[in-house]
Amino acid sequence: MRSKRQGPRKEDPVAGRETKPRRVLVLGIGNPGRGDDGLGAAAVERLESRRLPGVTCDANYQLNIEDALACSRHDLVVFVDAARGLRVPFLWNEVRPEAAGPALTHTLGPGAVVGLCAALYGRTPEARVLAIRGHRWGVGEGLSPRAAANLGRAVRFLESFLKRAAGKESRS
Amino acid sequence: MARKITIEPVTRVEGHGKVTIHLDDRGKVTQSRFHIVEFRGFERFVQGRPYWEAPVLVQRLCGICPVSHHLAAAKAMDVVVGVGPGALTPTAEKMRRLMHYGQMLQSHALHFFYLSSPDFLLGMDADPAVRNVIGVIAANRDLAVRGVLLRKFGQEIILATAGKKIHGTGAVPGGVNKNLTPEERDRFLKGPDPLNAGRMIEWAQAAIGVFKDYHRRNRETVDGFAPFPSNHLSLVRKDGALDFYHGVLRAVDADGHKVLDDVDYRDYLEYVGEEIRPWSYMKFPYLRSLGKAAGWYRVGPLARLNTCDYIPSTLAQKEFEAYKAYTDGKPNNMSLHSHWARLIELLHAAEVIKELLGDKDLQGTKLVKTGKRTAEGVGLIEAPRGTLFHHYRVSADDQITMANLIVSTTNNNEPMNRAVHWVAEHALSEKPEITEGMLNRVEVAIRAYDPCLSCATHALGRMPLEVTLCDPNGRVLEKKIR
Repeated sequence: MRSKRQGPRKEDPVAGRETKPRRVLVLGIGNPGRGDDGLGAAAVERLESRRLPGVTCDANYQLNIEDALACSRHDLVVFVDAARGLRVPFLWNEVRPEAAGPALTHTLGPGAVVGLCAALYGRTPEARVLAIRGHRWGVGEGLSPRAAANLGRAVRFLESFLKRAAGKESRS
Repeated sequence: MARKITIEPVTRVEGHGKVTIHLDDRGKVTQSRFHIVEFRGFERFVQGRPYWEAPVLVQRLCGICPVSHHLAAAKAMDVVVGVGPGALTPTAEKMRRLMHYGQMLQSHALHFFYLSSPDFLLGMDADPAVRNVIGVIAANRDLAVRGVLLRKFGQEIILATAGKKIHGTGAVPGGVNKNLTPEERDRFLKGPDPLNAGRMIEWAQAAIGVFKDYHRRNRETVDGFAPFPSNHLSLVRKDGALDFYHGVLRAVDADGHKVLDDVDYRDYLEYVGEEIRPWSYMKFPYLRSLGKAAGWYRVGPLARLNTCDYIPSTLAQKEFEAYKAYTDGKPNNMSLHSHWARLIELLHAAEVIKELLGDKDLQGTKLVKTGKRTAEGVGLIEAPRGTLFHHYRVSADDQITMANLIVSTTNNNEPMNRAVHWVAEHALSEKPEITEGMLNRVEVAIRAYDPCLSCATHALGRMPLEVTLCDPNGRVLEKKIR
């Protein structure tokens, strides 16, 4: 599941040089075969249909070490994942680089992936995580009604944020 | 005082297993076992489902080698829809091969660079906090980056052929549901650098060099670690060439004598039996002609390079010749040489991918065939970890009524137990103190077989390794957790 829309290049009015719109990656995490764990993939699917310029979308069951490559090639990365135990429909947080532990699969978190960007590729993107509250985690596809409602709110927020973020410029 | 050592979970393998080692009053090993404590149950889950769902359903067994299950099930269901082995359209056959060799590339890269290389590059006795791929990044960043990108390239091939990196839908009974576009082909052949097939071949060659260099410097360790004679089983192409996708069954004994040759895998039940032991969910397969006691065998890279006569790609064949010369052409029974064999296969997979990408059949439009419907299908494939058997019966109303899967790791059950026992006897027995490094050697022996213990929910790396020493009454004497 990947898509990419290019935004237009323009001139930096201050420095008098060409700048590029920020490259944004939205990375959904989770297993759509486990109920609300598919919130990350569902958010990415919905966002893809908006065709936002400069925004690349991808989704996978879990984060892997190789995801650091894609992250390092973007200016801003938004991880979207389902969350248990939230008291609100969704939570929006900054992701700070972390030193990855010995975990290899299943347990690599967004902070560790961002940390790997620097360790492997010498570049650290700005990163956020959008955690959407899930309610049902059993075997089977499809979101619970409450999770679907949370998804709608979260995606509206994310879309609004991305429209603002894409308007900013990258000088990297 | 008699003691029992438990290693649970075994780390840097896929899935959940544990090792128990019993020591007598003098610390001498009296028993060792590698237990698989997860229950899979897929043979039962798929019963009652429509047959065409099988290739998609059964790959949920695993998030690491789903393509192998996807293709083995598809091969079995080809037979059910009346399209027997070798009867697919050229486009379908080659798309599946490309998918499978992409899977082999990413899985072998994952195993060597992420799981095994820490033991080689950092040492079996290194601090477990750094003895992992993160430690490899710190020690040799370029090597780590190459490992990541080799795996990524394989995953991109899978994405292009199966539709998704994990749990794709590309293979359907009787064929495939997509071809490879010229744009996809050009991306894999010409860039963007470094993600192109030519660079993957170079890096696979370099990875073999890493192993050879370690081997040169640590010959006694590598050659002397858990060597034991066994039978070896795999598919080979009809002419004896290495082939991961299709072929006939061949088995050789520890001296290289053929035990099975040119066997149609659809008749596997005549040749392979499965023994059940009460302490493990995993069965113990054996060659019927040799019996339960002597008929156990290895599968996977080591076995494949012991059964095949040659490798049908130039660079890998050259490496194969050097590899075979090391044992004077005899079967290689040294457990750690499975890493050498795996890297030669990595190179072969990269070469085959490049060759396939140049084949115009991949842009063909005849994707699916149908024939006379049958009630039963068997599909075998050489998965990264070894021979994978899928067998189904289907009712007249298209429902699966029986499924039997012998997965690669099951085939290696007895060899892994033998390897664990070898390490227990040679590294732990009658030692005054059991160190973490000694316990890691047990895991190194298991890792050589790259077992995939039907993972789905268990977190690797962060799970504690718990070692419990118990007296004969089960009373805990000492506990170590890492």
